Formats: sequence, C-alpha cells, structure tokens
Amino acid sequence: MNECILVVDDDAEIVNAIAITLEREGYQVRRAYDGLQALDQCLDPSVKLLLIDVMMPKLDGLSALLRIRERRNLPVIVLSAKSEDTDKILGLAMGADDYVTKPYNPQELAARVRSQLRRYTSLGDVNAEGRQGLIVNGRLSYDPAGRILRADGDEVKLTPTEMKIVDLLIRNPGQVFPAEEIYRRVWNEDAFSCENTVMVHIRRIREKIELNPKEPDYIKVVWGIGYKMEQHG
Amino acid sequence: MDTKWNSTDKSPFEESDEHFSEGTNSSKPRIPAAKAFLPGGRIKAFTGFLAFFLGMTLALSALGALGNRIAWERDPSPRWEWDWQKTDVFRDNVSQYLREFLTIGAGGVLDFYGGEYYWDGGYSGAMVEQEAVRSWWGFGEVTEAVVVDRGTLDPVPPADAEKEPEKEPDAAYQADKNVLYWIQGKETSYTNGDVPANLAKFRSGSIEGYNFYLTFQNGKVSITKDGQELDVYGGGIYNENSKWFVPGYDNFPVSEELEGVTVYMAVRRTPERYYGVDYKNGGSSYYGSAFYSLAQWVEESESFYKTQGLLLFIAMWCLVVWVLLRKSAERVNREIASWTRHVWTEARFLLVTACLLWALLPGLLNLDLAYELLYSYGYGWEGGYSFAAWGMAVLRLVTMNVPALLALFWLWWLLRNDHRHNPRGARRSLLRSLFRALRTKELKRPVEKRLARSNGLILLVLLLGFALSLFPGAVLLNFLWVHRSIWGLFLSLLGCVLEALLVLAIYNAWKNLGLAKDIAALADQVEAVRAGDLSKPLKLPEDADLRQTAESFNDIQAGMKAALEEQTRSERMKVELVSNVSHDLKTPLTSILSYAELLRQEENLPPAAEDYARIIDEKAQRLKSMVEDVFEVSKAAADQLPVHLERLDMGKLLRQTLADMDGAIQRSALAFRVELPEEPVMITADGKRLYRVFQNLIDNALRYALEGSRVYLSLKTAEGLAEASVRNTSRSELPEGVDFTARFVRGDASRTDGGSGLGLSIASSFVEACGGEFRVETVADLFTAIVTFRIAD
Repeated sequence: MNECILVVDDDAEIVNAIAITLEREGYQVRRAYDGLQALDQCLDPSVKLLLIDVMMPKLDGLSALLRIRERRNLPVIVLSAKSEDTDKILGLAMGADDYVTKPYNPQELAARVRSQLRRYTSLGDVNAEGRQGLIVNGRLSYDPAGRILRADGDEVKLTPTEMKIVDLLIRNPGQVFPAEEIYRRVWNEDAFSCENTVMVHIRRIREKIELNPKEPDYIKVVWGIGYKMEQHG
Repeated sequence: MDTKWNSTDKSPFEESDEHFSEGTNSSKPRIPAAKAFLPGGRIKAFTGFLAFFLGMTLALSALGALGNRIAWERDPSPRWEWDWQKTDVFRDNVSQYLREFLTIGAGGVLDFYGGEYYWDGGYSGAMVEQEAVRSWWGFGEVTEAVVVDRGTLDPVPPADAEKEPEKEPDAAYQADKNVLYWIQGKETSYTNGDVPANLAKFRSGSIEGYNFYLTFQNGKVSITKDGQELDVYGGGIYNENSKWFVPGYDNFPVSEELEGVTVYMAVRRTPERYYGVDYKNGGSSYYGSAFYSLAQWVEESESFYKTQGLLLFIAMWCLVVWVLLRKSAERVNREIASWTRHVWTEARFLLVTACLLWALLPGLLNLDLAYELLYSYGYGWEGGYSFAAWGMAVLRLVTMNVPALLALFWLWWLLRNDHRHNPRGARRSLLRSLFRALRTKELKRPVEKRLARSNGLILLVLLLGFALSLFPGAVLLNFLWVHRSIWGLFLSLLGCVLEALLVLAIYNAWKNLGLAKDIAALADQVEAVRAGDLSKPLKLPEDADLRQTAESFNDIQAGMKAALEEQTRSERMKVELVSNVSHDLKTPLTSILSYAELLRQEENLPPAAEDYARIIDEKAQRLKSMVEDVFEVSKAAADQLPVHLERLDMGKLLRQTLADMDGAIQRSALAFRVELPEEPVMITADGKRLYRVFQNLIDNALRYALEGSRVYLSLKTAEGLAEASVRNTSRSELPEGVDFTARFVRGDASRTDGGSGLGLSIASSFVEACGGEFRVETVADLFTAIVTFRIAD
C-alpha cells in the first residue's frame, strides 16, 4: 500500500488534520496550499489520489482539476464548503470522482479515499469480470448468477432478504420501486403496512454498502414514491 | 261578460259542495272531496263550457261577418228587402228603361255622354236621380224642387237629322232577355218580342216567366206586379221619398213630345244572365244582366243575413245554457288554467302578436284602408273627412279577418283565465329564467364582462326602440303635414325632442360601452399587478374618462416596482452575505471538528480532557447544523430555494419519514398515534423538501413533547385539500401570541434545548416553496403543526 495522496487546501490546519488522519490509515501524504502548487505536485507519478479544495488563492480547485485531468488519470476527491446540489454536480462534471462537503467526517473521508484507491487499482479486475455478465455500479459490482455483491472489491455479506432487495434494485438502476412492490417481489406476499419492514432492511443494506449510511449514495429514498438504486459511472 | 266571469270566483270546496247539493240526495252525509268527481258534475261542467265556447264563437263570427259586410257595403242600413223587384235599384233601373224607351218613342237619340249608354249599375238613388234629371233629354219639365242649385242645363243638341242612325234606336235593347217591351212611338213602334201579338196576355199579366208589367199611356205610368196594381205616384208630387222616378207627377209632368207615345214593358221574374255589346256612332256600349246581378245580390244578401241571424240565435241559446251552468263550468276553466300555466310568457306574447298581425296586417297593408285610416277619408255615403268615415275604416280593419278575430278573443280569454286561476309566481318566463341564469353565471365572471354585457343590452334595447319609433314617427309627421295646425307643430316638436333624447341616450350607452372597456382594462391591470406583473403600464386612449385614474395607477405600479426591485436586490445581497458567512464559518468549523476528532482519538488523555473534547465535538456539530439551517432559511426567504416538483403520495411520504426516523422514535419516551389513509393522497411537491419538513416536525415533537405523552400524526383529505398534522403536548408552557414559524423562535425562551430554532421556520419556508400552506395552532399546551396541500388531479 502506502499510496501517496496529495492534499490541497489553502487552510494549513485542515491540510494537517487530513494528513494526520490519512497517515494513521497508512497512506503517504503530500501537501499543497494552492492550485498552482497542486499542479506542480501532481506531475509526480507517485501521487495516486488527489484531495482538493475548491476555493483557493491563485488557482481554484476546479480549474486545477481541469488542467490535471489533461495530464493524469488519477482519482480525485473534491473537498468543498459549498454544499449545494449544483456545486456537487459541477464538481463531478469537471472530472471529480467524489465530492465531500466541509465540515467533513474524518472517518468518512478516509473511507472514501480508500474506496477510490481500491476502485482504481482493481479496475482491471472489474473490467475482466464485467465481461462475464457482471453488473457494475460505481463502487458496487454484482454477480447475478452467483448472487455476490462486492463493494470496492470486497464481498458484502447480506442476508437472503437483503440480497433479494439488492438484486431487484441493482438490476433496475434508476427505477423507483414503491415499498409495496418491493415487498411483493421479495417476500412474495401482498403488502400491508410494509413501509417500516422495507425501510429496516434498506437501512441495514445501507450500513453494509454505503460509506455514509446517513447520506447514502446508492440506495436512495424517493420521498412520497418509493426507493431506487442510483446509477453511478 | 267580465262581471259574469268574475262573479264565479270560488274555492274548489265551495264548488264541490254545490255539486253535492245539486246532484245528490242531501240527506246523505256530506263528503265534499268524493262528490267533486261525480260523473254528473263532470258532464255539467263540460256542457257548460262547451255552451260557452260555441256561443262565444258563433256570436263573434256572426257579429264579425255582419260588421264586415256593413262596413264594406258602405251603407249603414242593410236592405231588409228580399224581393229584388222591390229594391231601390230595381226601381231606378226600371225608370231608366222607361226613360230611354220614351226617348226612343219620342224620336230621340240615345247617345248621351259621348256615345255611351248610361245605365245604372247600382249607385244610390240620389246620384242617379240628379244625373238623370240633368241629362234627361227632350221631355220632362223638371221643376226647381228637384234640381236644387245645379245650375242650368245645357240643352243637348238634337241629332243630326241628315245622318241616318246606323242602327235601330232600340238596337241596344233588342237582345235584352229580362225585359220585354213594345214602344208605340209617334211614327214607328219597336219591340223585342211579340208583345203586340200578346197584348192581351200582357194586359192580364200572364206572359210566361214575367211578373212585372209597366204601361205608359196617356202620360201616366201604371204598374202591375204579380197581378197587383202598385201605387206609383203616391201623393202626386215628386219628392225625395217618392219611389218611382217617372213622369206623371204634378211637378213632373209629361212633355208634349211624348203625346201619343205608349210603352209596354215587362220584367222577368227570375232574370237571366246574358251579355251584349253595342257599337254605335263610333262609341261602344255594353249592357248586360244588370237585373240578374241585382237579383243574385239580393238573394245572396238574404241568405247571408238569415244565416248570420240564425247563428246569432243559436249563440244566444248557447250563452243562456252557459249562464245556467257557469258555476259548474268553472271547473273546466281551472283545468285549462292548470295546462296553460306551463306556457312561457314569451310564447304567449308571441302568440298574441302573431294573432294581431294575422288579423290586422292585411288591412294595414291595404293601401286604400290605410289611407282612409290615416286621413279619415271615406268614399260613398260617409265620403269626405269625417269621424264616421274613420270609424267605418276601423270597422273594416277590425272585421277584415274574422278567424283571426276569434283566435284573438280566445287567446285573450285563455290569458285572462290563466291570470285568474294561477298565482303570479307560478307563471313561467323564459326571459326571466334566462336572465336569472345569466345573472348567476355573470357573478362568476370578471366585472368587465358584466359591465360590457349589461351596457350592450341597454344599447341594444335603445337601438331597437329607436328603430321602432321611426315608423310611428313618420306616420305622425305625415299626419301633421296634412293637418297643419299649431298643435300639430307642437306635437311634431315634442316628437323631435323625444327622438333626440333617444339618440342622446344611445350615444351615452355607446360611450358607456367604451367606459366599460376602460374599466375592464383597469381591472385587468389591477389583477395583473396583484399577480405580480409590474412590467407593463396601463395605456388608455387620450380622451378616456379613466385616463387620470390610469396614470395614477401607473405611478403606483412604478413605485411598487421600484420598491420591489430594491427589496429583491437587498434580499439577494442578504443571501449572498449569508452564503459567504456560512462558507466562512464552515472553514474554521471544519478545523474544529477535525481536531476535536483527532483529540478524541488521542490516547492517554485525562478523563476530564476526553469529556472536553466530546463537548467541543458536540457543540461544533450543532453549530454545523445551525449554519446549514440558517443558509437554507435565508435562501427560502429570498425565494431562491430550488424546488423540484413532482407528483407524490403524501401518505407514503409520511410513512417513509416515520420509517426513516423509526430509531429515534423508538428511543424516545413518546407514543406515536399515526392515522394515515390507505389510499394514495397525490399532491405536487418536492419530496426531499417535504421530507425535511416532516422530519423537522417529528424532530420538534421528539424534542419538545412532554415525556410519556402521545404524539398524533394524521393525514386527512377534504374539499380537494390534503391536511397533515403533527400534534403534541408541550413539555414547557407555550407562550401566547408567538409566531412559531418566525426564525429563531422557540417555545422555550432560554434556548437551552439544543435546537437551532429554525426547524419550524424551515418547515414553513419549504412548504410554501412547494406551494402548500403551513400553520401552527396552539391551545394551552397542545401544539399542532398543520401542512396543507391541494390534492393533484
């Protein structure tokens, strides 16, 4: 392991805090305090992941990201105080792989870094398996035949019911399923006041597959309608 | 008739009692209701009504026909003489014959009046008499008593002696089939039959088919009719009342030229029809069956008058029957009234109008009659301008169409009957119901339509009135032109003034129509401004009455626009400020949280320090959530909250929210009573935002509800609205008169409870951003938050 991670923020204390957290996880950390420094440091091929703030002096994070993308293909996590959906969408469109808002949870941040690195290093494997009818959705990959769900390459232990729910949702990404339908399909029974039951299972699945179960990236509630699996690149 | 009808107005009960006493033994117990339907009563009623109907119809038609005949004969006194040989016309004709026979006998020529024979076609006696006297050639010394101030007679020049008549003098009479004659002149004699041969028969009055015999002999006329000798000369003095205009009176002696002339003349009892034409001296003459026409006319008159008389007689008896049964017949009237009640007032009006037109239009279109009516000018006996002439013209007009007159009468009767038996409110009017319908419909429409429509109606009525007033106006003007007088002038002036007023009213209504349009534009503008459109100023024409108002309104609008822009700008600045502040707050907060976390991970810390680190972390977390809340609330306040509206099930959303918060709910010491409908309650809203709303509300309940109490969450639908409410009993006393949706307001003024004080404010902002309505109700310690949405179709 010991991948090298570049952390860029104009606030030195924040850079330091992130560095301490990541180093405790066993990563090497390089530091930069503005966009130009980030560009310089990124040229070093040993940098395997970039953690970058948006609002910085000299060159802002997104512009730096655009330039870096011209040269290098590495996972980038944008770290920003801007928490609105439009900001997130913009960041992801500029080539970020993930978007974490400040104030972040250090544990979650570390998990995201790990996830991104896993995905990038095991990319070849994922592709190879993808040819054999594997369903890949972001961090997740699902083997319908063997009923195996992997997150960042690690197999996720699911109960049969949870697996049925995941099977239904992951095969139809983006499609919204009302709780009644999920219940009917998974339990093979007519649904009656099943919202709680379904929600309990979904919460458990989230705890197993999401980096932050409170703000899930994959299994989302469509309020007033049902549940769906978000499609990720 | 009116009084008779009015006197029969009785209640049905009284009437049925009457039937009872009339039709049955009065010793039986009285059961009025049952007796009303006795068959005897029915027959009586129908007989009575039928008698009335027949009687009135017959009487009216007979009277109408009589009136019409009298009016058109232009003779007020009908000839009640059914023997045609006793009529004035017959006497005139016979006198005429005799006059001409005498002329022939005396050797005169019959070419008065430019070669035409003059013959009497039925003009009144007076005319004939005067004409005759003036032109009677050759004989007859007419006394002054007869020819009153007619001037002197121009002597007719004797016939040209040298020129032989082309025909016999009596050629015109040769073909006469109704008169036999034998003129024994001075030199020659003329006859058209074999009177001389049958003179004996003639004298005894026994020629076949002839019953009227006249003999002129020795200057005297003697007449035998049906073997009876008639008194020809009466008192011997000729005057206006003398029947026979023949020579031989004391004041109408026979002239010398007729000495020795004898005329025998017989008239057929039943005249035949024939025509003959005679050309003489270059002129033409026609003669024909004048007697035949006379006899026919008299015969026809006789049958006509007798028929009408008979009809009147029958009608009278019918009416007598009706008068006897009229109380029973009242039932039928009521029955009829119950049918006619359903007829619309407009239909009645139309029927009456149609009948009136049917009755009077032909007469009014008849130019002669119209002329007579307008100028009160008559011909004949009522000749000249007179009231009698006008009255006769009116009679002519009225009796022109007897069936229409009958129809009018029965219509009138039906209407009267209807009015008598049906209460006012029961009558139906298409126009009234239409108007009522329009009225209620109108109330739903904007003011301008109502204004424009009512003004349009007024204008329409005025225009119609003007158009209709032109006709009588023209007639009046024409009348006044003919009868010029100071009053006429005054009347026409008055008419002109009235017409001018009408024109003025029309102009006014027209202008009002424009005003209504302007008011409409103004109302539209007010509506637009209310809806928030401040961009367009109201433009009215320069001369509009509301111009000034529009200008003022535009000023207000401009002021509002400026104020609103200013407000929007400041709001935007505020949002920017808050946005920047929250960003600036987040950066140090990130450090605090990061290092607090690192501190907590530090080992070998004294327990107190561990505690401090935990507190720092907790408070920093709270600060974080507060910063986020403040940011969203300020955005919502500036209307810059992005919402993604979609159709969703509010009940499902509540279930999901409850399921999502199940852990927190289970951990709390509160019991949740949830009442959600099974069927979907579809609304249009932003699901994420609405989830935040209910999350906040439930969170609020969890935070502030009295421990161990119950929280009631319900969703109800009524009148197209979905109403979700969260109700709980507050732990602390709720202050009165506090707007809980205002920012940073909490039930607990000490602010030590850990909330941001923005929960309800966010809920309120989000609900309103989604198009719903949020309100808080407090009763004592009972706190209720209510979210209302319109149910989507």
